[in-house]
Amino acid sequence: MKPPLVKRLWKSFERTRVGRSIFRVGLPESRLERSRAMISSFLLHVQPAKVSRRSLRPGYTLGLGLISLYLFLILIATGVLLMFYYVPSTDQAYNSMKDLQFVVSAGLLIRNMHRWAAHLMVVFVLLHLCRVFYTGAYKRPREFNWVLGVGLFLLTLALSFTGYLLPWDQLAYWAITVGTSIAGYAPLVGQKLRFLLLGGHTVGQEALIRFYALHIIVLPGVAGLMIAVHLWRVRKDGGLSRPDEPGDLVEQVESGQLPANKTYGLMELARGTTPQVGKDPEEEVSAWPHLVFRELLLFLLVVAVVLFLAIFWNAPLEEFANPVHPPNPAKAPWYFLGLQELVSHSAFWGGVVVPGLLVTALLLLPYLDRKRAGIGRWFARERAVANTIFTLCLVAAVVFTVIGTFFRGPNWGWVEPWKQPPAVTEGP
Amino acid sequence: MNSSIPSNEIPRRGFFQLTLGWIAATLASAASAMAAVRFLVPNVLYEPSQRFKAGKPEDYADGSVTFLEDERVFIIRKGNAFRCLSAVCTHLGCTVNRIKTGYHCPCHGSLFNNQGKVIGGPAPRPLPWFLVTLSKDQRLVVDKSRVVNGDKYLVV
Repeated sequence: MKPPLVKRLWKSFERTRVGRSIFRVGLPESRLERSRAMISSFLLHVQPAKVSRRSLRPGYTLGLGLISLYLFLILIATGVLLMFYYVPSTDQAYNSMKDLQFVVSAGLLIRNMHRWAAHLMVVFVLLHLCRVFYTGAYKRPREFNWVLGVGLFLLTLALSFTGYLLPWDQLAYWAITVGTSIAGYAPLVGQKLRFLLLGGHTVGQEALIRFYALHIIVLPGVAGLMIAVHLWRVRKDGGLSRPDEPGDLVEQVESGQLPANKTYGLMELARGTTPQVGKDPEEEVSAWPHLVFRELLLFLLVVAVVLFLAIFWNAPLEEFANPVHPPNPAKAPWYFLGLQELVSHSAFWGGVVVPGLLVTALLLLPYLDRKRAGIGRWFARERAVANTIFTLCLVAAVVFTVIGTFFRGPNWGWVEPWKQPPAVTEGP
Repeated sequence: MNSSIPSNEIPRRGFFQLTLGWIAATLASAASAMAAVRFLVPNVLYEPSQRFKAGKPEDYADGSVTFLEDERVFIIRKGNAFRCLSAVCTHLGCTVNRIKTGYHCPCHGSLFNNQGKVIGGPAPRPLPWFLVTLSKDQRLVVDKSRVVNGDKYLVV
């Protein structure tokens, strides 16, 4: 049987002088070439040449980390496009949003994609965190990668929050006013932090330019770097976690300590677990095409979903920001509404103690929970206690967020979303 | 000591060099970090001054609570003691109104007593008291950037 036309055309291009100068290894045919294709290409070498069949099972990771990465890439692509029109000034910001909506070709679509991808990223980074917890994948030697992941989760929130102000409409203005007020509740440094963040006492031009700088370069730069380290550590820490992996690192052996009458292979000098330790060759398949194909497919799926949302639902844009006229109720972005709900009960406990303890607990988790049992399996019975505690915290966070989002009306009073909202009483 | 065998001991000169190097590196990093943070603190604010003159003490009647609309504060006089209370609700920044028992926020219904303490509603913190001083030309000066305890008075 002859190979398909596309493949034959590609092959003949590869054989040309230009083709050979671009691709160090052509379209791989043999097992050896498949490995070489992976390790000799800049874009592919981040990944192993061989992956275990287990890691490819979609039911284990659900692709949540990869989806988060794809959303980040979509956000960068659309964000850079938006930057060509957006002006970070209180006079012009809102107008540039209107321009994007009504004048710029595909401006509305790009902005919608950016907004929905941002919301999705908050959701998927959180889901990814949950997956890693429920599969016990944060334990040695992956402790530090979990810490990096928690950092990336906080960065995702910060990225979304700083972007929220930029449209300079009522929604943006008051969400940031309320959100930074919550930050101001932190003891000792709270008010100073808020002042530093806003560059003043109220949300104004200084705050807008600061949020802009943070949103377009500082936070994405730090996040991009941390994502790179995060991915690199996934490989260096031995690939995806699995139940049968060796618990302890291979001890580093000083060359002087080796007995002279024995020969050693290099693998015995290598430090740490590698993806190959304790693995059977039969469990493995070539990353090309098995892994690469699945990744491309998932990318297409993510783009398709974001496009679908962006085509059928528009990102909200309310009227021009009005500092003397707060909406009632004034709400923070949805992912902070659980926090706002807590703060409405007690500023100190809800705004400082609970979030502070949660973040601290997440950061310390891999160093406190050191039991080796139940790694690499979903909801392992051996981890019932940890899973129960985590689930309770998660459910509480979701319940508070849902209450803050749907059940709070004017004066932060209780409303039932399926009923007609009560008449809003205006402030002075 | 045989010079051909590497030793783990650090010679005295090396130790001092190392210590000096670390101290210099730490100081340089700390100074750079401080300069960066200081750079981010604005020296000029394009917003109304936090410190303002509130007129002569005689302008306020004994036992009165006077609302200054532009500055959003209450000037409270009792005998010859003066205090200044913020009129900005600590919940979300609306202006509170004076009522018999204290202060009431019309936005989200927070209630404060005469001491500015929260007695109802979503406000998380009491209304802050601001430092009141007397200028050389005998005017009250309020500094909204300096919060004081409610029992601190300016006695004129």
